[in-house]
Parts: sequence; structure tokens; C-alpha cells
Amino acid sequence: MTAIAPRREDDALLLKPRRDPFLIILWIILVTFALVWIAPVVLIAFTALKSNAEVMATSAFTPPEAIAWNNFSGAWARGNFETTFKNSVIITVIKVPLGLMFSAMAAYALARIRLRFGKLLLLFFLFGAMIPFQVMLAPIFTLVNGFGLIDTYPGVILPYLAFGVPYQVFILHGFFKAVPKELSEAALIDGASHVTVFRRIFLPISLPVLAALLILDFVSTWNEFAMALVLLQDRHMWTLPLGLMSFQGQFSTDYGQLNAAIAMTVFPAILVYMIFQRYFVSGLTSGAVKG
Amino acid sequence: MATVQVSDLRKSFGALEVVKGVSIDIRDGEFLILVGPSGCGKSTLLRMIAGLEDISAGRIDIGGRVVNTLSPKERNIAMVFQNYALYPQMTVAQNMGFSLEISGMKKAEIDKKVAEASEILGLTPLLQRKPSQLSGGQRQRVAMGRAIVRDPDVFLFDEPLSNLDAKLRVQMRAEIKALHQRLASTIVYVTHDQVEAMTMADRIVVMRGGCVEQIGTPLELYDRPDNMFVAGFLGSPSMNFLRGKIEGQSLLLPGGERLALPSLPKGGSSGDVVVGIRPQGFAVGTQDGAKATIKVVEPTGADTHVLADVGGTEVTCVVNDRVDFAPGEEIRLSISSAKVHFFDPASEVRLD
Repeated sequence: MTAIAPRREDDALLLKPRRDPFLIILWIILVTFALVWIAPVVLIAFTALKSNAEVMATSAFTPPEAIAWNNFSGAWARGNFETTFKNSVIITVIKVPLGLMFSAMAAYALARIRLRFGKLLLLFFLFGAMIPFQVMLAPIFTLVNGFGLIDTYPGVILPYLAFGVPYQVFILHGFFKAVPKELSEAALIDGASHVTVFRRIFLPISLPVLAALLILDFVSTWNEFAMALVLLQDRHMWTLPLGLMSFQGQFSTDYGQLNAAIAMTVFPAILVYMIFQRYFVSGLTSGAVKG
Repeated sequence: MATVQVSDLRKSFGALEVVKGVSIDIRDGEFLILVGPSGCGKSTLLRMIAGLEDISAGRIDIGGRVVNTLSPKERNIAMVFQNYALYPQMTVAQNMGFSLEISGMKKAEIDKKVAEASEILGLTPLLQRKPSQLSGGQRQRVAMGRAIVRDPDVFLFDEPLSNLDAKLRVQMRAEIKALHQRLASTIVYVTHDQVEAMTMADRIVVMRGGCVEQIGTPLELYDRPDNMFVAGFLGSPSMNFLRGKIEGQSLLLPGGERLALPSLPKGGSSGDVVVGIRPQGFAVGTQDGAKATIKVVEPTGADTHVLADVGGTEVTCVVNDRVDFAPGEEIRLSISSAKVHFFDPASEVRLD
């Protein structure tokens, strides 16, 4: 063996990368913010598993001693989850894909088909995203009531669609605009109609963006409260966020059950996020760096 | 296979007219190259033939059929784009078979046609790859394969080699020419590279500012350019233009130097004239000719490019030998070629 044994100090000098103080500060800030975000999740998880007595007796961040699974069954019954869960699923499962489909088609037409008033039409769409929906609550109620759609699925789904489409069109229009125009031209020369170009070329390449929009739209539709509160008066038509109101009693609040209900409400949104988050991240960057 | 007739074609974007009344007859099976500097309207012209741009005025016939208002898919053309425009989510085979699939052809037949085309282009081992897994040259070949499988009336190429490196460009140039000889199809090809135009075309259309400057075979254009623009555009390095007065058998340059001319313009112009001389047409020596000062010497290996200043005009000479000149050195320049071109200094038009 003729190899010279490497000296320890040299190794340390060569191999140990110098830490950038900026990165350290960044990490500290990130961890702080992460804690702020995680804290309520932990609080909900712990409280959901405690009996009401234990909630009152222990601090919020103490892990539960005896796990109270019956909070979940209690919450399920008290919040009328059988109905509200079903309503939320029906509304979300119809609204989200339908809205995305409309938005994608509109965005394609605005980005790729030469229309006489294309720019004006786009502005018209975008204008929809500028109106705060609180302003619209009363007019929408009157309108939906006029159609006799209060307490019906279409009565909620249609306004949801109307409010979801503008920002989706905005994002998808930007993405479609960035697709090289030769791609659609090549397809048109290949004999494709615009429907085919949209379905066979644009939809497949915009999957990441669509996945990102699907997550955002699923979560916001699933959690929507104010409009549902106005448009759904009948308890049997309530969605999950409305169902959570049952836990706010006039004289007492069962925090264990309330948090169990919240956990059950949030769970599907987390599930959808976990399934699609891989695309979500690539979708966020796909506009910036074309692959 | 088909003829293409372009008659008095015009295109305006708002107030800006980019194609100003172009007429070209493209023969059946001809390899026609549109060449010109950026913004001369050549790509717009091609896109109008393809049906990707509306026509402001004029008419286009493909195979004897007016196609002015037909959509691209009704024109039975195929186009190869500069950035290839391959469908990123499809494999090579799917990319090539896409048009056939849309037309409703049976799968077995599509496979057969794709196999044939990929055989011609040497793409067979790559059929299951995605475009992102291909090199630039391979992508270019797939784009061509996509055009070939359709067996179109006319092939349109829009600067297809501009994104390739120099070596690959030379190779693809030969491949496209071989492909044309094999398929004998009508090709309209746009490029700004005069070497591509000279080496591949049956006929070249030189364009400038939305107008056709000259149409002809590569050698016609090289040997008898109609004006100074065409003369300067074709050939590498480009032609030298010397302004001066004809006096007797020689050209009197502004600095007082004289260059003996092998011929004179017909009609014997005695006034101001521009003489065009190819860089290969000079003899560089130390004995006789006009006095010139060496500015730069560029050895290319095979020959040497000498940039010299003669009477205030910079000229490029290609010398077949290796020369040992230093910048600043004084040499003697004379015209060795029998062929010089005379142009009118005001109109820039050929004089004879």
C-alpha cells in the first residue's frame, strides 16, 4: 500500500461545505412558519381524540390520555354527516370536473381560435374574477330564488361554476398561450379539427396545470361556506361546513366532537391534495419553465 | 404531387404590407427555395400557402384547384416547422401516425406506412421514444417523417435546419435533397441561409421587403444576378462591389487607383458604375494591379480569405494558396476572373 493516508483536517476543509448564513436564516423562518401552520392541525388532532372533560382539564397541546374514538361516531350523528357528507360529495364531484372542462375549453378558444372579439371576451371573463363574491351574495340569492332553485343541487352548483370559471380561464389561458403555436398549427395541417387539437394535444400537455387547478378548486368548493349558507336553507341540503354549525350550541360546545367533525371534514381535501400534489408542484412551475 | 401557382399574392397586417404582390409558378416535383433576409415575407408566403395565414389579395392554386379559402387540412399539404412542433406526449410512432389516425385509417395500415417512412429516415429503432428523448437531428427527422407518411401534394419546410448545429445541418441538407430525389415531390422550402438555397434548390426565389427580386436556378442567379441585392445575397463570401468610373479598359476608383477590367458593360457606360466581383475573382500579388492594404487575413485551411482596403473600399479576396501577409502590408490587387458584373449605382440594377 503506497497510498498516503489523507489528513483529517484537509478532509474537513475540502468536504465540509461552507454554510450560507442567508440559508440558515431562511430555514429558521421556514421552521417558524411551519410551526404556526402545524399548531392548529395538532390542536385539532389532539382535541378530536379527547373527551370533553379532558379537553377542559388539560392544555390544548397535551396529547390525549385516553383516546376517545366515540367523538367521531358522536360527531357523525350529531352533525348529520350522513346527509351533509353526501351533499358535499355530490356538489364537489359534479362541480369541479365540469368547471375545469368549461374553463379549459373556453381558455383554448380564447388562446388559439381567432375570434373577432376574443380580447374583449377574455376581459369579460377576467372581470368575473374581480368582483368580490360577498357583494354578489344577495343578488345571487334573488336570482337563484327566482329560478326556484333554492335548496337544490343545481342552485348551488351553477353559482359555484360561475365563480370558479374566471380564475381558471385566466390561468389556463396563460398556459395555452405559452404553448408554441406551431404545435396546434402542425395538428391543424395534420387534419385535426379544433376539438381534436384540444382533446389530443392541449389536454394531455396541460395535465399538470389541470391537476393543480383541480386541487385548488376541490378544496375551495369542499370548504365553501358563505354561499352555501345563503342558498341552502333546508338542513337536508346542507354541506359539511354548514353541518359544523350544529356543534356550536347555545349553552355548551362539545370541543371533542367539534374537532372530530372538523377532522372528518378536512380529511377528503387532504386526501385529494396528497394524490395530486405531485402534479400540483410541477404545475406551478410549468408555466415558468417549459419542458 | 402537384403544381402550385401563386398569383399576385398580398398580405397585410393592419397597415403594414409584408407580402406585396408575389407571383410564382411552382412546377410539379420541383424543389423551390424561398430565400431572403429576416422580415422579407418568405415565411408569411409559405404560411399562406399552408393556409395558416389569411390571404389579403391574390390567389393560390394547388394542383389546379383554388385553395384561397380552404383550411390547412383541405389542402393536402404537409409542413415541417423550424422548432419541429412534435407532440410531446406522443411517441415517435404516434407522432408520425397522428394525421393518418385522424383521417380514420386502419391501425395495421398506419403501422405499415409509419414503418415505411421510418425505414427511409432511419428512425426504426426510435419509434417507441418520446420527442424529449431524441436529439435535435432525430427530432427533425421525425418531423419530416410526419410529413412523409401523409403522402401530401406539397411539402412545406419553414427553416427546418436553423435549430441544428453546423455539422448536422450539412448532413440533413444532403438527406433532404436525397429524400426529394427519392419521392420526387413538390417542395417549397424557406430559409435565410443562402448556402442551403444554392445546394438544394431546383430554383431559388430571392425575396426582399415583401417582393420577389429574382427567380431562377441557383447557377443562373449566381452567374447573372438581376441586381446588387441578389448578387450580394448569394455566394459566400459575398460579392464585392466597387464604385468608380469606367475609363478606357479599366475602372478608376475614388482613391485614384485603377483596376483593369476583363470586359466592359454593353453600351459602353462611361459614367459612374458599380462593378461586382466575386471574392474568388481577384488575384493578389505584389507586382501589378491596384494598390491595396491588408486589413485581416483569415485562413480557412483550404484557402485564405484576405480582407483588403483598395481606394477606401473594403474587399474580400479568396486566395487558393496559403499566403503570408501581415495586416497593414501593401499588396497589389488585380481582377483574374473573366466574369465581372456591372450595376447602375442609382437603381442597383444589372447593366447588361
